[in-house]
Amino acid sequence: MNPYIPPLNLGMVINSSKDNNEVIYRSGFPQPLNYPYIEETLNLKTIIYIGSEKSVTDEYKAFITKNNYIFKIFEMSSVRDENLHLKIKHIFELILNKQNYPILIHSNKGKHRIGVITGLIRKVLLGWSISGIYQEYGVYTGNIKGEMDLEFINNFDFGDLNVDFDIDQLPSYLNYV
Amino acid sequence: MEQSTQDLCLDLRCGNITNKQFIKGLLSTYNVKSLHDLKPILERDNSEVYTILENVLLQSEEPVLNNEDLQDDEVNCDEDLDDKYNAAEHKLRNLDILSQNVFYPPENFAHVIGNIYRSSFPRTENISFFKQHLKLKSILVLLSDDYPEELLNLYKKHDIKLFTCAIQGNKEPFINIQDETVNKALRIILNPENHPILIHCNKGKHRTGTIVGCIRKLQNWSLTMIFDEYRRFAFPKARGLDQQCIEMFNSNEIEQYALQRKWLPLNW
Repeated sequence: MNPYIPPLNLGMVINSSKDNNEVIYRSGFPQPLNYPYIEETLNLKTIIYIGSEKSVTDEYKAFITKNNYIFKIFEMSSVRDENLHLKIKHIFELILNKQNYPILIHSNKGKHRIGVITGLIRKVLLGWSISGIYQEYGVYTGNIKGEMDLEFINNFDFGDLNVDFDIDQLPSYLNYV
Repeated sequence: MEQSTQDLCLDLRCGNITNKQFIKGLLSTYNVKSLHDLKPILERDNSEVYTILENVLLQSEEPVLNNEDLQDDEVNCDEDLDDKYNAAEHKLRNLDILSQNVFYPPENFAHVIGNIYRSSFPRTENISFFKQHLKLKSILVLLSDDYPEELLNLYKKHDIKLFTCAIQGNKEPFINIQDETVNKALRIILNPENHPILIHCNKGKHRTGTIVGCIRKLQNWSLTMIFDEYRRFAFPKARGLDQQCIEMFNSNEIEQYALQRKWLPLNW
C-alpha cells in the first residue's frame, strides 16, 4: 500500500470525540498527491477555501465535484482587507451549522490566514486563552510573527458580527463551553 | 399572536414548559430565528413578556461547571434531553460573558487524531481545560522523573488516570530496545478504553513528537509529512535522531496487536 500524503500543515481544529463527525481540519492547499488521503480518510462534507478564486485549479474543481463536497471560497489576502468582517461572519455561519460537518478549512500554505481563522474559532467558540492561541499560531507559522494577525484575533469581537444561526443546528461541542 | 404569547407565559409560570421551550415558542410566534432578532421586537411591542424573557435568560446564565454534574443531570431526566435549555448557546451572542470562562491549554498542545492529544508538561491552570473541554480520561507521561504531587492530587480529584512509560530521549544512536518501549506506549495510547488521552513529556517536542510520528506511521502517512509535522512542533530544536527513530520504527508488531483488537484504522 502506498503511503498517504496528507496536505501541508494538516491539523485538527475541532475533534469529534467518537463518531468522526463534527470535525474541523485545517491545512494548506490540497494538491493532487493529497487527494487520496483526503477522500479516503477524512470523510469530508464541506471545504472552505480562504484565498483567491484564481488559484483554484481545474483539477481541484474536478476533485470537488467528484466527491460532492460543498465548496466555498472567501477571497481574503490578509487581515487588512476591507469587508473582512462580513466574510468572517459567513465563515462562522457555516461553522455553526452541524449539517456542514466535517469541514476542511484551507488557505494556500495553511499558516497565516488559517491561523487567524483557527484563532478566532479557539477564542470565540472554545474560550481559549490568548496565549494558547498565539502559541498555536506560532507552531504552524514556524514562529514567524504575525503581529497584525495576532492583534486582529485579540481585538476581534464576535458580538459585532451578528452571526445568524439556528439553535437546533449548533454543533454539539458548543455545549461544554 | 398576543394570545399565544400569553399562553406561553402562563405555561412557563405553571411549569408546563421548560425555559427552552418557552424561548422556542416565542421565536416561532414572532417568526424570527434568533434571540438577537427577538429581543428588540419584544422590547418594542410587549415589554411585559420582554421582562419575563430577560428573567429566563438570567436564570439560565449559570454555566455548567463540571462534566459530572452535567452527566448526572442527563441521567435523571432522560426524556427531556432534547428540551434542555442550554445557556451556552445563548451566551454565544455575547463575547463579554463568554470570555470570563477562559481555558488555558498547555504549551505545544494539539490534537493528534480522534481523542488523542499531545502537549508539554501540564500545569495546574490547565486542569479545567482538560476536564471541561477535552474530558480527559487518562494521561500518558513519557518521563521517568517524579511527578509533581500537586498535579497528582488534581488528577485524582478529576478521575484522570496517569500512565507512565519512560522513554529515554534520543540523544544516542537508536537501539532496538526502544521499539519495545514505543510499542508499550502505543498499546496504552491506542486503547479506546483510555480515550480521551493526552501524551506529554517536558516540552512536548522530542519524545512526544517521536511517539506521534509512530502513530502517523500507523495511519500510513508518508515520511516527509510525518517529519514535517515533527519539525513543526519541535521547532527550533528538531533532532535528526528522533526522525531516524520514527523512520526505523517497525510498526508490524503493534499493527497486528491493534488490528486484532479492532483499534485500527484510527479515525479523526
